[in-house]
Amino acid sequence: MPLIAKVGRNKLSVKFWLAFITSFLWLGVALHLFPVWWMFTSSIKPVPEVYKFPPTLWPHKPTLVCYKLFFQAIGVSYKGEYRTVLPFPIYVYFKNSLIYTLGTMVIQIPVCALVAYSLSKLHSPRWSRILFLAFITPLLIPAQIYLIPRVLLFKNFPYAFKISSNLPSVNLMNTTWVMILPFCYDAFNVLLFKGFFDTIPESLVNAARLDGASEIGILRRIIIPLSKPIFAVVSWFSFSGLWNRFLWPLTVLTEEKMWPISLRMNLLQTQLESEHLQAGMSEIELALREIGLGWNLIMAMGIIQSIPIFIVFLICREYLMKGIRLRGFK
Amino acid sequence: MKSKPRTRERQLKHKHYAGWLYSIPGFIFLILFFWYPLILSFVVAFQHWHPIKPPVYVGLNNFQLVFNHPLTPLVFKNTLIYAGLRIALTFLIPIIVAILIMEMRKSTIRIMMILWFIPISGVALTILWKYIYNPYYGLLNAIFVGLGFAPQRWLSDKNLAMLCLILPSLIMFAPGLIYIGALQTIPEELYEAAELEGAGFWSKIWHITLPRIRPVIAMLLILAVISAFQEFNLPYIMTKGGPGNATLFAVQYLWRTAFGYMKLGEGTAIAILLFFFLLTLTIIQRKFFRENVDE
Repeated sequence: MPLIAKVGRNKLSVKFWLAFITSFLWLGVALHLFPVWWMFTSSIKPVPEVYKFPPTLWPHKPTLVCYKLFFQAIGVSYKGEYRTVLPFPIYVYFKNSLIYTLGTMVIQIPVCALVAYSLSKLHSPRWSRILFLAFITPLLIPAQIYLIPRVLLFKNFPYAFKISSNLPSVNLMNTTWVMILPFCYDAFNVLLFKGFFDTIPESLVNAARLDGASEIGILRRIIIPLSKPIFAVVSWFSFSGLWNRFLWPLTVLTEEKMWPISLRMNLLQTQLESEHLQAGMSEIELALREIGLGWNLIMAMGIIQSIPIFIVFLICREYLMKGIRLRGFK
Repeated sequence: MKSKPRTRERQLKHKHYAGWLYSIPGFIFLILFFWYPLILSFVVAFQHWHPIKPPVYVGLNNFQLVFNHPLTPLVFKNTLIYAGLRIALTFLIPIIVAILIMEMRKSTIRIMMILWFIPISGVALTILWKYIYNPYYGLLNAIFVGLGFAPQRWLSDKNLAMLCLILPSLIMFAPGLIYIGALQTIPEELYEAAELEGAGFWSKIWHITLPRIRPVIAMLLILAVISAFQEFNLPYIMTKGGPGNATLFAVQYLWRTAFGYMKLGEGTAIAILLFFFLLTLTIIQRKFFRENVDE
């Protein structure tokens, strides 16, 4: 409690001020939690309640029908025409999301940690400055510029152009690689790691060196055990960033069986909202309602999609406050 | 005795080698997926790409097409308005919240940190907001009607759509954690010393807290500006750029040009224009916030 003076905390004006801050913060918490709660209650509402106006705050007849679709694909027939709603059960998309995210993290975190460690402790000061600049500039470059060239790159990996037919190139679109490779390096993670490694005293590393420890030994026995908090922080930032990817998969994954869950949610939402026929309902929406689904299905997918992020947050939470040692672009 | 300097030398050599060895994987990814595409985009912008035929050099033609396109000024205007509003309305909130949270008791800080910065998938939350905005059965209209106002069409309303896109970002944020991390590194003695000299609440914030976290604020401001100008998910999911292109922003515009109409060259030209615009903004910001804090 650094800002409010320790002496005179019992004064009425100070008490009032503190109470004001506290209530402001709790109000913010309420505002912040409200969408989560709304998503959850909507996901367990039966269809008539999802579309009720004004909406009910708590479902009168809660149902788990949407969560049962985790293992089941669905389609509806409307006017004799079959339309898929979920061509694959939700777990397929969920599994894809997990593979893309964890697969990237497994490569990304060690790569970034090693780069940051070498910048912080191994390179000479001069090289360290130059390399740091090279490694960190991607952070200052708007990522949208990579979008089109990277698509070309992956269509004709690794040349982008058809140079000659002798040079072998592969089309990586619609593969797992396209979701992993471009994210294996992340400048922000390097910044986070370096900020932390910089606070580890140089003398500690030098002392170990004098004792005859090898470079790998220093890394393994001294640096990594000390760096648990920063690994937690980076895992958290990296997981939430990678899990939420949307534009890139939307651009490169055209086959539905490769989609992460976010893409399917968005398409479902578009299907429900696109062709308004009567009272804001689209054809598919009307057909879906007959089998008891609608916005509650999308909300259930939203909850399912949020669970992993929440779990990782809970795991990393203890370290989050300890690990962040950012000092700007330095 | 003699062997000592030699071992020392060898160790320095090892350190040197290890430094380069550890940087190599990062280097490979950096060059292949960052520097190479960056250079590539400056090539593609001057070419005409055909789905089957090899690309042809067309000079500045792509840029001319973009400049003469009737949508371009509108898109850049929309992007500016959106990014400006979003930064103005949302950038300060996490800073204030982080500073105030640090005033609470330790146990309260723990709970509040979870609750304030509770993570939800961004895409899921965006779609939830679309449900809330629904004019027929959405929550927001229910509240409006309940309070006695006329129901609104929200995302389908030309004048409201832009504001509707900003509202969710008022409550979706994570950088608060970074501020809390930064605030924790400020030694408590500084505040105590200031207190002895009679500094109050505001003057402590102004003279100790803010200067200390300024490098972090400067960095996050730069990142926030870059990401606000590149927003894609929110407008794409909520409005698809509508109604009547009122919320069509730069990235969606280039995405649609490149992959919707298959004009890769033109799309890249838009990307490069936005790139230089943002680069200028970043350089200006760097000039404004010099990073050296007195230590």
